[in-house]
Amino acid sequence: MNVIDCKGLTKVYGRTKALNKLSFTIEENKITGLIGRNGAGKTTLLKIIGGFMRGTSGEVRVFSEEPFNNLFVSANVIYINDQMNFPTALSLKEILNVAATFYENWNHELANRLFDYFSFHQDHQYTGLSKGMKSTFNMIVGLSARCALTMFDEPTTGMDAAVRKDFYRALLKDFIAYPRTIILSSHHLNEIEDLLEDILLLKNGKEHLHIPIADLKEWAIGIEGLTANVNEWIGEREVIHLKNIGHDRMFAVVRNNFSEYEKQKAREAGLTFSPVSSSDICVYLTSKTKGGIDDVFIKD
Amino acid sequence: MSLSKTSMLDIIKKQYTFKLRAYMQVFMSMVFIQMLGILFSFNGVGMSGGGSNTLSVNVHYYSADIVVAFTIVWAIISAILITTQAYRNDDFVFITNRMSSNFSNILFLLTASIIGGITAIMSTYVMKVLMYVLGRTEYLSSPIAVPEMLIGFGATILYVFLGTAIGYFIGTLVQLNKVFVVLVPGVFIGMIVLGAGSMNGGFFQDMIKFIFMESSFALFFIKIIILVILLFSSSAMLSNRLEVR
Repeated sequence: MNVIDCKGLTKVYGRTKALNKLSFTIEENKITGLIGRNGAGKTTLLKIIGGFMRGTSGEVRVFSEEPFNNLFVSANVIYINDQMNFPTALSLKEILNVAATFYENWNHELANRLFDYFSFHQDHQYTGLSKGMKSTFNMIVGLSARCALTMFDEPTTGMDAAVRKDFYRALLKDFIAYPRTIILSSHHLNEIEDLLEDILLLKNGKEHLHIPIADLKEWAIGIEGLTANVNEWIGEREVIHLKNIGHDRMFAVVRNNFSEYEKQKAREAGLTFSPVSSSDICVYLTSKTKGGIDDVFIKD
Repeated sequence: MSLSKTSMLDIIKKQYTFKLRAYMQVFMSMVFIQMLGILFSFNGVGMSGGGSNTLSVNVHYYSADIVVAFTIVWAIISAILITTQAYRNDDFVFITNRMSSNFSNILFLLTASIIGGITAIMSTYVMKVLMYVLGRTEYLSSPIAVPEMLIGFGATILYVFLGTAIGYFIGTLVQLNKVFVVLVPGVFIGMIVLGAGSMNGGFFQDMIKFIFMESSFALFFIKIIILVILLFSSSAMLSNRLEVR
């Protein structure tokens, strides 16, 4: 069963298109990483899936239903972001108690254990928490709700390294205990790539890449060598990134579709191959220019 | 993975209990406003006097009218408040859609109106006690018959509820477009000004007469209920396409 079906989804704010004919499907019980630059449309997409906003055109189906203003979708989806707001009249413990009455699959024991582990105080107010503590608390709500579709939008904002690690581990453990569909949007792909099964890369509101994370690591390869040699070798291939090293050497990232024979020949010509981390691939793929920030500083 | 099924009624019930707790501040402000109303009431609503060479009589009238008026204003403001984005977002943290959100808001406002209406009328007793304790002069009060008392409660609750409906409608308009922040007061003042010159009153004056000058309670009840339903249902329809969070 497909949890999310998205066809030609477009969302327009004034004159800018936040989402531009986006189409993809997400299957049941998978952890998908939603990756993209700032302003690529990640949050907009998640809010449309959560039923908070409407797409301008195109079609979205969550659990085969239109999500906007849909109680069934709302009951099975939880969307956690760093701009969450809880009623100021409630203490932290009361918020958990209220959430428990709403969500059918809510695991109150887990919520309480996480609550104690991260040393929250039950009488504290949500507004009095620091940024990282807020994110941690949101995460507890998101995990304990055990919604069939759980969406975390930049869940680690403000968390320190230790808490981030704890969060990833908690997420994975609870996912194994209670499999569900999870979408994780984050800027720290290198931190979450071990959790992910699939990756959905957005660029300018469009789906740029939607492949298993294992394939992403093999998707591109780096070549380094003398500029002339590299240029000759990359020839007609799809170049993702170029960088000059010194004045006569060059580093290029290209699609990894070399045959073993070609690689052998290239090595003989003095080129070295290196794997490119998935996080770097994503950065290169989503940058507007081939050379990245370096292009800004090159004056012709 | 099993998907949870929910019924609208169930969610409205949960939202309602959640809101009674979460919107506590609304009741806090009510207590404050009514105390303020009682304080102002000590000035009296009317006064008459007379006398001869050796005797002078001053009669001061006191009533809870100011408290009731303050409560209606509180109702309008509270209703506007719970339509604001912060409150709406609090709402959408947990399971809901716009319909259940509006319904639970209306139920909450009805509860608030009942509590506000009853306490507003009851404030007369507070005033009587305070008069008795603090009053310097002779103090008379007319006992109120039970049926009259009940009508008093009913009418006050209805006025307060109408206030929440008006506030909720205004709040919803403002949420749709910020233009209404200027437009609503503009239209309101415009209506008063337009009617002021004419002898038989404008639309606004007619409206006031229609609502406040009804002598039959049954008719009054029907009028208010129809107005309230109209206002709430148009708010619900207007906000049904509203984007949140």
